Amino acid sequence: MIAVRPSSLSSLQLAALASAALVLLPLIYIMALALSADPGVWSRLWTTRVPELLWNTISLAGAVVLLALVLGVSTAWIVTRCDFPGRRLWEVALVLPLAMPTFVLAYVFNYLLGFGGPVEALWQMLAGPQARIFSPQSFLGVTVVMGLATFPFIYLLTRSALLNFNVSFEEVARTCGASPLRRIISVTLPLLRPSIVAGVALVILYVVSDFGAVSLLRYQTLTYAVFQQMTGQLDNQAASILSVLLVVLALLFLLTERWFRRKSRFYQTAGRYRAPQRIQCNWLQTVGLTASLSIILGAAFGGPVCLLILWSLSPEAFAILDARFFGFVWNSAVLATLAATAGVLVGLPLAYLASRKPTWLNTGCLQAAYAGYVLPGPVAALAVLILCLKLIPVVYGTVFVLIIAYVLHFLPAGLQSLEPAIQQITPNLEEVARTLGLSARQTVRQVTLPLIRNGIIVAWVLIFLQTMKELPATLLLRPVGFDTLAIRVWLEASEEYYQLAAPSALLIVLVGLPALGLLLSRDWRAA
Amino acid sequence: MSRSLHKAHRTTPCTNYRPLIGIFTACSVLLFSMIIPSIAAAADQLTVYSGRAERLIKPALDEFTAKTGIQIALLSSGTTELVNRMKAEGNRSPADVFITNDAGSLELARTAGLFRPLSMREIERAIPPQFRATDNSWIGLSGRFWIITYNTKMVKPDQITSLLDLADPIWKGKLAIPNAGSEYLQAGVSVIRASIGDDRTKTLLEGLRDNAGAQVYQKSSQIVEAVAKGQVALGIVNHYYVYRHLATQPTSPIAVVMPDQQEGGMGAIMNVAGIGVLKHTPRMEQAKLLVEFLVAQAGQKIFADLDKEYPLHPEVQADPALVERKSFRAAMVPLAKLAELRAPTLRLIEQVGMR
Repeated sequence: MIAVRPSSLSSLQLAALASAALVLLPLIYIMALALSADPGVWSRLWTTRVPELLWNTISLAGAVVLLALVLGVSTAWIVTRCDFPGRRLWEVALVLPLAMPTFVLAYVFNYLLGFGGPVEALWQMLAGPQARIFSPQSFLGVTVVMGLATFPFIYLLTRSALLNFNVSFEEVARTCGASPLRRIISVTLPLLRPSIVAGVALVILYVVSDFGAVSLLRYQTLTYAVFQQMTGQLDNQAASILSVLLVVLALLFLLTERWFRRKSRFYQTAGRYRAPQRIQCNWLQTVGLTASLSIILGAAFGGPVCLLILWSLSPEAFAILDARFFGFVWNSAVLATLAATAGVLVGLPLAYLASRKPTWLNTGCLQAAYAGYVLPGPVAALAVLILCLKLIPVVYGTVFVLIIAYVLHFLPAGLQSLEPAIQQITPNLEEVARTLGLSARQTVRQVTLPLIRNGIIVAWVLIFLQTMKELPATLLLRPVGFDTLAIRVWLEASEEYYQLAAPSALLIVLVGLPALGLLLSRDWRAA
Repeated sequence: MSRSLHKAHRTTPCTNYRPLIGIFTACSVLLFSMIIPSIAAAADQLTVYSGRAERLIKPALDEFTAKTGIQIALLSSGTTELVNRMKAEGNRSPADVFITNDAGSLELARTAGLFRPLSMREIERAIPPQFRATDNSWIGLSGRFWIITYNTKMVKPDQITSLLDLADPIWKGKLAIPNAGSEYLQAGVSVIRASIGDDRTKTLLEGLRDNAGAQVYQKSSQIVEAVAKGQVALGIVNHYYVYRHLATQPTSPIAVVMPDQQEGGMGAIMNVAGIGVLKHTPRMEQAKLLVEFLVAQAGQKIFADLDKEYPLHPEVQADPALVERKSFRAAMVPLAKLAELRAPTLRLIEQVGMR
């Protein structure tokens, strides 16, 4: 039973269909463009760029996953299983790197590890004046930057799995005489596998679609190549071909993750849950743990933020804090507000219909909207661009196109909090309101919307944040001369004007922090 | 129950999402308020799309505004990006004037029918005919040459005389080159192809690709920095980036080789930065004034003194720090030909797999 009448249902239905079309049309169009491209272009790309790009992308994803796993799982284990002074502080602090966009981290590391940079200078004092360290603009450099940026995903998921973990499984293994190592390998890790796999999938999608770090560190991946093709070529054939490859790659990862998750389900047997005992650390262990956590967090967050503050206080940075700078702040804020609002408006009917009237059409529309997951920024930009040029050329080069691309790209993020929010309210509440004499409109206003308000807010904030940090689509679609904070950081940083990029970068990080808090308070204990 | 429900509904119009509609209206107002000013502002000022780095062109435009009182909205971005954009925008384009750093792109814009030919005595007097389109729809403003810059502590000047030398494996890991998307790299490769043929060009590019490895840069200024710091020994850039660097850091250990001047060599690769007036512009008079200003001695002097380019006006002197223009020769490839050479050049670059 639905709280709205049939005719308004069909208008909702129309809205949902339109939203799904908004997402699917560009995707289909870009596929069509790629498939209709000159076969010569295909074969040339296959013999020249594609093997290198595929290898670079996949190997980078693999290496980053390894690093993020090591960092994420070990930190999660430390804060849940050890007891030492400051543990609770670390528990929260380890999430902070999520507020750091990859392009900011990349630009700081470009300086730190760069030729003649402070780390190299330090190393040369130890190992002689000719000693060189690895370049940040290498496979290793990109891996370090992306690993530091993404390990909190794995940390968060592993941590909540460890907290909800029934320790009796381990104890049974122990009473049966299993060694500590064997217990970890054959009991603890398999139980953690579902969360770790989910975290790994997040990290892979993040790496595959990242533009900020790879562009500043000049590491060729598919995403970066799509961007370069779009800005350097007079037609979009090659760009669309590479885009389709990228979409297929992301889709493969996503499906693999789903498959894994279905294969490995574990059930907690009811009743006998006990929280694990924490290992009490002596002072030596405490010092060791604190030091290693400081190094990780210092590299991923503390150090970069200190540098940004230092640079922001330099006279060069002060000189650019003029009206123009506040124009960029305004542009960013307006774009993010528009995108977040549009995203929520587009997402609501989809999520509502799919949960209240789960016909194949409605669930299909919802699933379609999740396609944005496999559309990295440059691809979303390309898709929206060619479709708008075809259908509504008037909007080309206006903010409007940009908003469409953002919604397309970030709708999944919004839906992920809208969907459960709506599903959690039982339809009975709405039905009760109706039998008590409220009209459909009043029901929505007085019952449904207040109940899902938190879900809406979280969705809005998520899209707002992502838009603030968005780089490639903004670069490609913005009205000429319309710069945002993220663009300023990227433009200044790509010419190595570190000080000039710092105020914008710092502002982006600062805006991200309270939002991060909001998101964590939602599912901090529950996640 | 359902009957009574339906009854209740018929009387209420379906506005389930009224609060959201309020937000939506606010947002659309915001959206339009952002689009409209750009249209309104265009009434009394000249909009310039520029593919040149902002700090290289803004001083000249500021000088123009100071002299004539005509305001300029400057929108800087990538050259190819802007050509694509102007083609897409067609007659709706807010641009009145297009300035960029590659004759090939200017010629492509001309063949796409974006420009209006100018017949002005001022142009014909100031700029020699080989530096403009045949119908004067674009006009060169300043000249630049591909040079090899090297770190004086790492390379002896007699080790390098030609671009072809850079393909030698002894420079592996010691060379910095611009990325394949940059128009000046593409134009340069076109000239090389026209001079020495596709096969030898391909060998050269493969050598450059292998020697440069990961040292492929987005910006010429970064290449100069890398050479000055000793991160690489050699780099290919347009000459003025080196001289601009030397003007601020005179003690920097970098120097310049004007390549391929030997007997039978192809000569230095030249390109021009130029200007074209968009066909549909309603501000033809102001646009002509801008062109007139930039080709005249005062405008040319800005390019010479500030940007360290070679002015195209025969009576304006280049900066004395530069290699004397008469002391070297340029490759014999007409600038307008860069446009038709470009598509096969891009294919070759892609085939070699340059970044």
